[in-house]
Amino acid sequence: MKVEIVLTRDGDQQVVSYDYQRREPKERPMVLDVLLQAQATTIPDLAFRYGCRARNCGVCTIDINGKPRIACRARAREGDRLEPVSTLPVLGDLVVRRDGVARQLRGRLPVAAQGNDLNVEAPQAYHELTACIECYACLTGCPMHARNGENADPGAGYEFGNPFSLLKLQRARLDPLGSSQSREQALKSAVELGLSSCVDCPGCKCGVGIDLKNLVVSELLTAAGDRLPEPSDLSEETA
Amino acid sequence: MSVEVEWRDYDVVVVGSGGAGSIAARAAAEDGASVLVVSKDPIACSDTKISEGIATVRESGSGDDSEETLSENLRIAGGDLPAQEVTDAFASDSKTAYDTVRQYGLRPEIDADRQGPQSLPLPLGGHTRRRSVGHINSGIAFGHANWQAVVGEARIDYLEDAWFLDLAETNGVVSGGLIYDAARGVLVAVRAPSVVIAAGGLSTLFFPKTDTMRGNTGDSYAIAARAGADLVDMEQIQFLPFCLASPPSYEGLLCGEPVMASFLGVLRDNNGKVILDGVYLRTRAECSSAIMRAVEDGRGSPNGGAFLDMTANKTPPKSGPYFMKFVETVLPSAFRNARQALGKEAATCEIPWEVRPAAHYHMGGIRTDEHCASIGGNDGATMEGVTGLFAAGQAMGGVFGANRLGSTSLTEGAVFGIRSGQAAARHARSKSVADDEVLNGLIERTQARFGQKGDRSATQIKMELQKACWDLIGPVRTAERLDEIDSKLDGWAEELDRVVIPTYGTWNQAFLEYEELRNMLDTARAVAAAARERDGSLGGHVRLDKSEISAFSWPYSTMVRRGDNGQMTARRIERPRTPLRQLISYKLKEAWRKAQVKMLHLMPAEMQDRKLEARYKAIMGAGDKAPEVYPGSPDAAIADGKQA
Ligand SMILES: Cc1cc2nc3c(=O)[nH]c(=O)nc-3n(C[C@H](O)[C@H](O)[C@H](O)COP(=O)(O)OP(=O)(O)OC[C@H]3O[C@@H](n4cnc5c(N)ncnc54)[C@H](O)[C@@H]3O)c2cc1C
Ligand code: SF4
Ligand code: SF4
Ligand code: FES
Repeated sequence: MKVEIVLTRDGDQQVVSYDYQRREPKERPMVLDVLLQAQATTIPDLAFRYGCRARNCGVCTIDINGKPRIACRARAREGDRLEPVSTLPVLGDLVVRRDGVARQLRGRLPVAAQGNDLNVEAPQAYHELTACIECYACLTGCPMHARNGENADPGAGYEFGNPFSLLKLQRARLDPLGSSQSREQALKSAVELGLSSCVDCPGCKCGVGIDLKNLVVSELLTAAGDRLPEPSDLSEETA
Repeated sequence: MSVEVEWRDYDVVVVGSGGAGSIAARAAAEDGASVLVVSKDPIACSDTKISEGIATVRESGSGDDSEETLSENLRIAGGDLPAQEVTDAFASDSKTAYDTVRQYGLRPEIDADRQGPQSLPLPLGGHTRRRSVGHINSGIAFGHANWQAVVGEARIDYLEDAWFLDLAETNGVVSGGLIYDAARGVLVAVRAPSVVIAAGGLSTLFFPKTDTMRGNTGDSYAIAARAGADLVDMEQIQFLPFCLASPPSYEGLLCGEPVMASFLGVLRDNNGKVILDGVYLRTRAECSSAIMRAVEDGRGSPNGGAFLDMTANKTPPKSGPYFMKFVETVLPSAFRNARQALGKEAATCEIPWEVRPAAHYHMGGIRTDEHCASIGGNDGATMEGVTGLFAAGQAMGGVFGANRLGSTSLTEGAVFGIRSGQAAARHARSKSVADDEVLNGLIERTQARFGQKGDRSATQIKMELQKACWDLIGPVRTAERLDEIDSKLDGWAEELDRVVIPTYGTWNQAFLEYEELRNMLDTARAVAAAARERDGSLGGHVRLDKSEISAFSWPYSTMVRRGDNGQMTARRIERPRTPLRQLISYKLKEAWRKAQVKMLHLMPAEMQDRKLEARYKAIMGAGDKAPEVYPGSPDAAIADGKQA
């Protein structure tokens, strides 16, 4: 089975073809298997991320034929094109720099009040959001994240948000141990990160099937209400 | 042009951002230390995140639990290898440490009566009390809490995609370390009086025959050993017996535990001959060694394992349906792996499953006291080890000895995370760092690797090494094999200078592979040295050429230290034994359970069926659902103490 892999070394891009050798006659390999075999044979210094091989750790996301996929659980097909996700800067081959996303939340995450009774049940939605494996598949197609532009410095934390960051903030709002202050702070952070982009957006898509639109975006939009900047302010901001 | 260097100063450097590292960093920061977390995976991405998420919380399930009971459970399971101060520390802090993780957002279900986290309905094997707490979203829930502990605390600086390479150490004192920050393509030289190593385990030595994260390349042990620290119980690796052998994408992932085989499940070799019966009463080590002995004898399954045959459970008309419910619910994620990998016929238990052991956890590690500080010395005369070096989590040795009980590792991360962070902060207050000479030496050597010419690739040596580790220091070992691994390790060590490494700084995969290979070589050497010193089978260590070490003999731990020539030397230190009376009562219970199985097999079919039906009903209660069992522990073997 032949696939194409887009390699980037020291800034130079190159597309190579790799011919996967099935290890069992009827094997239907995952894309991660293809990458592992390529690294084991003809491209020993092929750079890609993986960890658990079981869709838990969330680091193996790459673009397969232009769409973000979790490589350890995506079946490989003849002619697939494998490249780094398009939404984050490439460090080498299929590896992108991820830390700009989490860093944007530094100083913005509310702290749960200390010393209050820990024995309180969290609502169902809190657990549904906790299912997030931080794979960043949801960055693809997000107009808010796109506002960062290509030259933003991830080391400083991105200025504009994305579905993952909103999920983290909404999760903080659902925490039964939070205070009204911490909820307010989470909402304020969401607005600062560009929540207004969500107003006219058809909605985001999660790599593991979390209902981001209803559980995160609508909730935040409703809570923010008229605190969102008018669309006219927005166009000025982006201009 | 050589890779650039950035200098930084901190009180405490924490290596790793799993459960142990994240919590350590937070604890140190809250004690007022300036902290840098270094993580080669993204923050909180770790074994902790991909675990089943079951944690030991003392007293969560029964009012008569106590620190003494929990501490003793750990020591008996560990073959009396763990030091009592350490198991006592675990037992005393397990509740408060768990509550600390809750402050970062871990939200268990609440047991309204007990006003605390809801524990699983049965004690896990080896625990004599109910005290294991499961979580919605498994380990991912811990991942979020650990992430919050680091990212949510402005006083902590962190670097992800950054590999901690070596400690700077002179005359047994730590003064910082060197980091390769792959994302920015620079070396970071850190001056710090305290370094906490929480960089996980070594299961990647056996890839793909493991269920753990890729990053478990033994970095913790190798880095500490190169700085002159003692390593303890390095031969004690926990292999899960029932992991998948095929298809390749699923290799190594867990598909069952002994308990899942239920009353009539057996292990068969490639010729269909039974190699182990009463599987559900066996420990993991017994199952693994039965499988590996068949493989040794040329009777292994096509992919080097054996067949777990549960078909007899399914056929009886009355108990069969109960069995199917049991097998589907007792270990849901393992069963899901089996169904996806082996197909429908296997999932309905109409055909046997091909299974093979896989590496899961390392009980051994950096030798420390109960405050996680490195220690040295011999019997009865403990001495300070490497000053300024601390360890927590899987990196730390001596907590579990020869066998780890289910659900204890996540708690271990929190308990010793807090303790190591506090001890490291305390130590930093009293010390200032010496000169930069050692760091400069490290920098020079590391820079010289970029642009190294040669004819070998580290990835390929890694794979050769992984295969050899499985064959020679894996689930079964012999003296000859230990000699063989040593000579192979010598050969690869020489080849390190022939590994090709390009010059560029940003995400230089060849350099990363080289560094991890270097750690794997040192760690494999330490395992081999300890495995030679322990000349009998005990817990996770199976010697085909030697007999079982009796629980009644005097226990000892193995200690390994690295010499200047790179070789590892092993020695023993004696441990106190559990009083005979307790040991004997434990052994008698085990013998009684095995006798019961024999009786079951002798019954006429119809009677057997009725008897089994009653027993399934008793286990599963009205809910028609088996109590879930933690997949990743000796627990599931009923022989380890669970009634069914
Ligand atoms: C599938 C599975 C299920 C499990 N289920 C359970 C369970 O239910 N209950 C339980 O108690 N235990 C369970 N365990 C065991 C438990 O998850 C681990 O033992 C525990 O999480 C280890 O925690 P840690 O913090 O020591 O290491 P890890 O969580 O593995 O973290 C290690 C960290 O170190 C970093 N690192 C490694 N090397 C370097 C380096 N050189 N430089 C910088 N950073 C480095 C890694 O990136 C990572 O962040 C399970 C394990 C597995 C694999
Ligand atoms: S709804 Fe908001 S977060 Fe989701 S994709 Fe659109 S802009 Fe991004
Ligand atoms: S919200 Fe979904 S797609 Fe986005 S990071 Fe989390 S799991 Fe991935
Ligand atoms: S390797 Fe962990 S999610 Fe794919």
